[in-house]
Amino acid sequence: MKLKKKEKIFEYIFTLFIIITLNFALPRMMPGDPFLHNTGGEGEVFTTHTVEQIQYYREYYGLDKPLYIQYGTYLKELAKGDLGYSYYYKTDVLSIIYKRFPWTILLVFSALGFSIIFGTILGSISAWYRNSWQDQILYILLIIISEIPAFLIGIFLLVVLAAALNFFPLAGSISHFRDYSSNFEKIIDIAQHAFLPVMTLTLARIGGIYLLVRNSLSTVLNKDYVRTAKAKGLKEVRIKYIYALGNALLPLLTRVSLQLGAMIGGAILAESVFAYPGLGLLMRNAVSVRDYPLIQGIFLILALMVMIANLTADLLYKKIDPRV
Amino acid sequence: MDLYKPILKIKSLKVDYKINSDWFTGIDRISLCQKRGKNIGIIGESGSGKTTLAHSIMGLIDSPHKISGEILYEGVNLMSISNKDKKKILWNDIALVFQNSLEVLNPIMSVGKQLTERLVEINGITKKEAEKEQIRLLRMVDLEEKWKDAFPHQLSGGMRQRVLIAMAISCKPKLVIFDEPTSSMDAILKKKIIKLIKRLQQNLKFSMIVISHDLSIMKEIVDSINVMYAGSVIESGSVNDIINNPKHPYTRGLINSSVEILPYKDLWGIPGEVTSTYCQGCSFAPRCTQSQEKCFKEKPELKKIGINREIACHRGGIIKLLDVKNIQKNFKVRNKFINAVNDVSFCINHGETVALVGQSGSGKSTIAKIVSGYLPGDKGKVYFEQKKVIYDKVAKLEEGIQIVLQDPFSALSHRLRVEEIIKEPLEINKIGSKEERNKRVKKALRDVQLPQSNEFLNRFCNTLSGGQRQRVAVARALVMKPKILIADEVTSMLDLSTQANMIRLLKGLQNRQGFAMLYITHDIYLSRKICERIIVLENGEIVDMGSSNQIIEEAYSQSTKRLVEAGLNK
Repeated sequence: MKLKKKEKIFEYIFTLFIIITLNFALPRMMPGDPFLHNTGGEGEVFTTHTVEQIQYYREYYGLDKPLYIQYGTYLKELAKGDLGYSYYYKTDVLSIIYKRFPWTILLVFSALGFSIIFGTILGSISAWYRNSWQDQILYILLIIISEIPAFLIGIFLLVVLAAALNFFPLAGSISHFRDYSSNFEKIIDIAQHAFLPVMTLTLARIGGIYLLVRNSLSTVLNKDYVRTAKAKGLKEVRIKYIYALGNALLPLLTRVSLQLGAMIGGAILAESVFAYPGLGLLMRNAVSVRDYPLIQGIFLILALMVMIANLTADLLYKKIDPRV
Repeated sequence: MDLYKPILKIKSLKVDYKINSDWFTGIDRISLCQKRGKNIGIIGESGSGKTTLAHSIMGLIDSPHKISGEILYEGVNLMSISNKDKKKILWNDIALVFQNSLEVLNPIMSVGKQLTERLVEINGITKKEAEKEQIRLLRMVDLEEKWKDAFPHQLSGGMRQRVLIAMAISCKPKLVIFDEPTSSMDAILKKKIIKLIKRLQQNLKFSMIVISHDLSIMKEIVDSINVMYAGSVIESGSVNDIINNPKHPYTRGLINSSVEILPYKDLWGIPGEVTSTYCQGCSFAPRCTQSQEKCFKEKPELKKIGINREIACHRGGIIKLLDVKNIQKNFKVRNKFINAVNDVSFCINHGETVALVGQSGSGKSTIAKIVSGYLPGDKGKVYFEQKKVIYDKVAKLEEGIQIVLQDPFSALSHRLRVEEIIKEPLEINKIGSKEERNKRVKKALRDVQLPQSNEFLNRFCNTLSGGQRQRVAVARALVMKPKILIADEVTSMLDLSTQANMIRLLKGLQNRQGFAMLYITHDIYLSRKICERIIVLENGEIVDMGSSNQIIEEAYSQSTKRLVEAGLNK
């Protein structure tokens, strides 16, 4: 058992090392150069640097040195907890990420929570009333929703609910230059801004979770131990929630932890559509201007997030399922 | 409390399963009655509806499946009371020990918690009381208290069975249903579990319904047996009656397949499979070797045939094919009468193998000849299917009596070809058209595992080996589709290996075609291996008669003992 634990820790460290290496290599493998255009984002006017200026910047940021030396410096700085200095924003990478990170967390975890809650509820209804009309309708509806790409759902929601009907703000995460009379008012404002991106992400994820719960619960409902519980004359609630759902949700845990990466991918799209100032939007900008340190930093933080989620799932699983 | 009032009464219970919009009958109008303190056994092959019956009683048949009829527990119809009232009775009064399987217990809940779950939820005992109860229950089934914190996957199969039993008795029920309590257990564990069940019953005084395909557990713990086939009860009676004297052909087949009941006999399963689809007639008819037209058209009802004995068979159970009554035969040798057969009576049932054992000169072959009508007896009568045997009429009949003799060399004419020999009885008795005869010859050859090529059909018999000749002799008998085959020392002139093959061939044919066999031999151990009953002869008289185990283990006469001892010294 102890050996297993050690192995597991080594596994995580090894994975992290691979991720760091990839983080370093990937941006540098992209075509383009960080200093071709130093100002302006997409659609803005570019000011182009001269060859000398580019040369100067390359030397200044150490990009003229051989790759292995750059890699060594990167590792050394990382060990000190220094994620580097953004070429584009001209500030510390960590502090940029620090400002954006909470917004992404808000989106991802709210969407995750809602998709699990609603997916489980709908999936359970479908499983309990399998092959009835309720099940059929839910099944068709959710299959259709999960087949539509997330960004399309996002654009649709934006056009209808925000632009046309004006129910929700069009962009951003919070109203600027606004005085709040109470914290509650602030929370409402944040929720209003987050509503559409979260809904987009939830709708994109809910189909998978619904199907998983529906199948898993249908299987569990036919298991011998559910029959045992029925014979014992236990209350319906106990059979449904402790026996059936308790066993049926085990695969969901695995699924969710494995999908967290994809969820973050989805968040990047949603943030672009709703101009939501999270890590996703930041990453898109960083990639388009080839801001190596910022790209590396964002990737690293996201990778760490996924790893932590996997670890939590591992530990949780052990706690819930005695067989593991 | 009236001791004689039935604790459970089932009236024409019917269960239909819906599988992909098709309906299958799981149970077809079963009626049962269980008296308080009595134990009922239910046996049958897998798929016969035993478990469905248990689940019906426990109210586990949900829609879309259909259930109808009445299940009366102490006079209360469980099918018509509300769910709430039913829940009060289930597990509190009637509990089920589920068939042991990996997932019969909730994998994510500790064993102890599952033991007292019901007590906590319905009876409202506290957590502390529950823990005490868990320890008590585990001790009752001989498990240490530490197992209460274990999870189901950590238990062995035997331990899981004990937990299942403990769970069933947790509410002190008055009726416990055991579903295959000993399946897939080794003999030692099986014995322990049976002992445990007996002890618990003594202490807790519950009545039992035991469902199993294992006859040995039935012998140990139940009072009466219901034999189930394809959803119906086809025979019921006391344990000893059912095991020692099965009346339904299916029950006999089941007992013949049981190594515990017949430890020395070759095992022969019942050929064919249970037909799962509902059929009009008797559901066993397609596998039955004595079925008639009526069997396929009408469903037989359970009919009383004795005290506590019922059977569902149009033919009244296994029919008595041959009834030999007090036959006697004297031979005259130089003015002196030699008493070859003296006052011999016995009978042979359909599909049964009876051995006629005795030393040479004890009158075995003479009896065979009288029975088949070749030799008239001086006194006594022989009845074949309730009709008196007159001379060789039964031998000329299809579905009559055929005899295969000891010496294949003199029994088959060397002048004739194989085809002519086998076809001869059909031609002499003018049975069938020419084509049909040829077909039947080939079928008989195939049955005895000989080639059916023209080359072989045209061979003369003197070119065949002893084993082949004896097979041809058997084929000649089979071509008449006999109901009784008399095998008179058919293997004594064959070498050991050929002998073994011959016997297996005969038993295999019997198992499929269902003819009865009178097997004449001097080898009492061989008889035990292949026969249900043995008749021992000495000097023309029957000195011992009974089931093959009985005869060898508790031989009555000196003559039998001598034969048994002599057989051992071989």
